[in-house]
Amino acid sequence: MKHGALTILPLAAGAAVYGFAFGLLAAQVGFPWWGIALMSGAVHAGSSQIVAVEQFAGTSAVIGAALAGAALNLRYLGIVASLSEVLSVLSFRMKLLVIHITGDENWALTMAERAKNPEIGAPFLIGSGLVMISVWTSSTTLGALVGANLPNLEQFGLGFAFTAAFIAMARGLWRGASNLLPWSVSFVITIYAVTLGVPKAYAIIAGAVCGLVAAHIVRTRRRVAL
Amino acid sequence: MSFPFWMLIVVLAVAAFSIRVLGLFAGDTIRSSRFSWVLDELPGLIVVSLVASSLAGQSIGVWLAASAALVTAYFANHVILTMCVGVAAYGGLVWVGL
Repeated sequence: MKHGALTILPLAAGAAVYGFAFGLLAAQVGFPWWGIALMSGAVHAGSSQIVAVEQFAGTSAVIGAALAGAALNLRYLGIVASLSEVLSVLSFRMKLLVIHITGDENWALTMAERAKNPEIGAPFLIGSGLVMISVWTSSTTLGALVGANLPNLEQFGLGFAFTAAFIAMARGLWRGASNLLPWSVSFVITIYAVTLGVPKAYAIIAGAVCGLVAAHIVRTRRRVAL
Repeated sequence: MSFPFWMLIVVLAVAAFSIRVLGLFAGDTIRSSRFSWVLDELPGLIVVSLVASSLAGQSIGVWLAASAALVTAYFANHVILTMCVGVAAYGGLVWVGL
């Protein structure tokens, strides 16, 4: 658990920047600091919170804003499903707790580390998840409390840290040439969808689904060749 | 905090947790089926799609920084080192105006 908590720290620093910015945004919309803390702790899905609050600020339509935020979270179907083996050692009650503290960063880091060392499992996921939800909740709350008197940290490249981290995690998940076609399909379809104006949440799902189709074709051809 | 604010938090929290629970049941079902390969393929595909979504429409500088991160990741296979090189490359490219 400690290993996961320590390894996730650089990613947690990046999340803190986004969390702080989200806290500012939510406070400007009218959320009190304790409301932001409550939302971050109860929802624990950064990008969907940001989208929902942005939509809420523009329209004040609760259902529309919540649906927009929830759509961003659809990828968690696949993310949590892929944890099936990691979670298999836990009780059902613990599974419910762990899936709540699972986010993009600690999931991807766990899977990437597990690809290198199969002994990495639930304790790593839990340790990193506890750090992430703590950092996310406290940074969003702090953003609402402190106000806008700090420089824009994005310009120093901290926003790019997530992209670099995901690139490194993809490297950890790379299993050889059989990944090349499915991953290329996912990459190109996602880029194309975003370029066409499709919301990123749907573009990510579309890219992953098309990649799965390509992976199925690769596997079928290999089986026929054998 | 007025009613719509409370509603947004509650609806968003219920939606987020419901999707995660659905994934939990889907995972167990898929793991024991002939589609178990999907769970092996999905993590890489989602991560690649996350990277692609953050690069789409970005400047040449961001793509160059991503290339530097990719080269580092390929040879080092180390998350923190890749982040450091990526952020340094991004900062440097922004500094020179790319």
